[in-house]
Amino acid sequence: MTQEQRTRLQTWLPLIVLAVLILIVGIYDPRFFSARNFLSVTADTMTLFLMASGVTLVIMMGGIDLSVQAVASMASCILAAYLQQLGFLAIPLAVLGGALAGFIGGLASTKFRIPSFIATLAVSGVVISAGNWFSQTRSVNIPGDLSATYLDWAIGEALGVPNEIWVGAAFLVIMSAVLGLTPFGRLVRGIGAQERAVIASGINVDRTKIAAFTLSGTMAGVAGVVMAARLGSGSPTLANEFLLPAIACIVVGGTAITGGVGSIWRTFVGALIVQVVRIGMTFMGVSVFAQQIVFGFILVAAVAVTMDRAKVLVIK
Amino acid sequence: MKPVSVSNGNLLGHWRRWAPVVVLLALCILISLFNGNFLTFGNFIRLLNSAAIPIVLCMGATFIILMGSIDLSIEGVVALTAVIVSLLVLNDISPYALSLWAVPIAVAVGGMMGLLNGVLHIKLKTPSFMTTLGVGFAGVGVATTILGGTTVRISDPTFRFLSLGRVLEIPMAVWIAAVAVAVAYVIQERTRLGRWLYAIGTDEMTARHAGIPIERTRILIFGIAGLFYGLGGVLAAAQFGQGHALISQGRLFTTITAVVVGGTALSGGVGSVINSVIGVFIVVVLANGLVLMGVEPYVQQGVQGLLIIAAVALALDRSRLDVVK
Repeated sequence: MTQEQRTRLQTWLPLIVLAVLILIVGIYDPRFFSARNFLSVTADTMTLFLMASGVTLVIMMGGIDLSVQAVASMASCILAAYLQQLGFLAIPLAVLGGALAGFIGGLASTKFRIPSFIATLAVSGVVISAGNWFSQTRSVNIPGDLSATYLDWAIGEALGVPNEIWVGAAFLVIMSAVLGLTPFGRLVRGIGAQERAVIASGINVDRTKIAAFTLSGTMAGVAGVVMAARLGSGSPTLANEFLLPAIACIVVGGTAITGGVGSIWRTFVGALIVQVVRIGMTFMGVSVFAQQIVFGFILVAAVAVTMDRAKVLVIK
Repeated sequence: MKPVSVSNGNLLGHWRRWAPVVVLLALCILISLFNGNFLTFGNFIRLLNSAAIPIVLCMGATFIILMGSIDLSIEGVVALTAVIVSLLVLNDISPYALSLWAVPIAVAVGGMMGLLNGVLHIKLKTPSFMTTLGVGFAGVGVATTILGGTTVRISDPTFRFLSLGRVLEIPMAVWIAAVAVAVAYVIQERTRLGRWLYAIGTDEMTARHAGIPIERTRILIFGIAGLFYGLGGVLAAAQFGQGHALISQGRLFTTITAVVVGGTALSGGVGSVINSVIGVFIVVVLANGLVLMGVEPYVQQGVQGLLIIAAVALALDRSRLDVVK
């Protein structure tokens, strides 16, 4: 297979897989084919997509961010704990908390030269403690009236479409623009494709990396806020079980963990694939816990297919 | 301490080799100054007891990190083996009552999970952290699915003796951990597998040219690590008297912290199982000290996170620096 064919396959395969999956589920249960249902399925996918969209940048550099589920949980705790006192300000505060966590992860990884998976794993320990501190280790409820006042932008409806979809679409456009139209986006691709070359051309690689990790933390924060809004509470374990699907939807979308190849819309398609697989399994009566097993193996399989082995001499 | 440091001979290399011991001693002195209860026999036994399971898990994880790989499936394997063993001994859900015969079965299941890690990692050529992340989640999934969210209560006194029983005033779990360390040390020092481990971790390409069967060694080591995690799961079930997927929560974190803090380098080739024993004691003594000082328990994970960053940053061997992903 030539490089060109390979790239083409990685671009179209996820879309074909998604279409086939939708058909299968639709044949199994014809009620699946309704505009109403498509909207609600897409809305359910958005928190996962928001979380994964930031990690996509990090993975495209050839790194990984394992702290996003802890960061999203912490953001939900900050939101729930301060919404009463601060009102709207609690939202940027929660997102800022996520950005800070991402920044620290990036700083630790680049300045101390720690592999990103261990740096972000370590940061997630600190972040879990912080989440517990903000929420005093409990689940904090968001009262209905506060939610209606401050969080309607995330969970309400506009023009007959759930607001989750608007939020997701907005970030799909913003993140795609960041990746596709800015020098930063080009650098992210460059670092993933050939980091040494980027260093040799005199570019401050560390700064770009830290920025990408910060964006990843920020998006995890946004995902945490939307999650808390949907569930009406914040808790230090709110986003547990989200890390694996988040990474799975990036890789299933065709972004290679070796870096260089990928885009935000692929992650969007990947998130929809993960969601449709989940719905299909639920139809067939597979429990939520057992679904983790399937996602575990989907992840490994997708990594095996998308990885560019020419890039790594020794696989550790 | 194992003198396999690349930068051996110079002062810095020397300091790095002994740093974990110095840190441990300093911690002990510091905490005993603050709190008189630290240096009591009762607390000493408590320390040993809480170190037992992490030490067993570390024996497996150290081998994998020595190869330059990583195993993120620890929690999955521990959860699965703990649930399986508690269903096989006398309990309130299943009719089996295999007593101690359940132990080798559960340990073997751990070994199978490890082999699965190794085979997927080698045959699919996927990086170990991704492979083990997937397998680990699958393990937790299987464990939770078997029980459907409930908890098994163990009512087999012989089995519980494995953790709670005391021989010469020292808990049985500590003796078992000591045997695990001895076995791991023998594998590391006295077998070809142990030597190959260091060769692969130091320079895999050279090791391959030297004719070392890389693939087979890697798969075997993942399998052996799985056996240790299986034993860890058995001890956890015996200690708590119940089986539940949550029994493994936080174990991955503690294990990796201990291995790294003990001075085993994530880049592979440098370190030893003895380092990891010291590492476990640093983590356990610190946790014990924080509890004695009245710090909230949820802070522990944050402290461990900072420890990982500090230890990896300090243990860094700058002669091997290249692109860090």
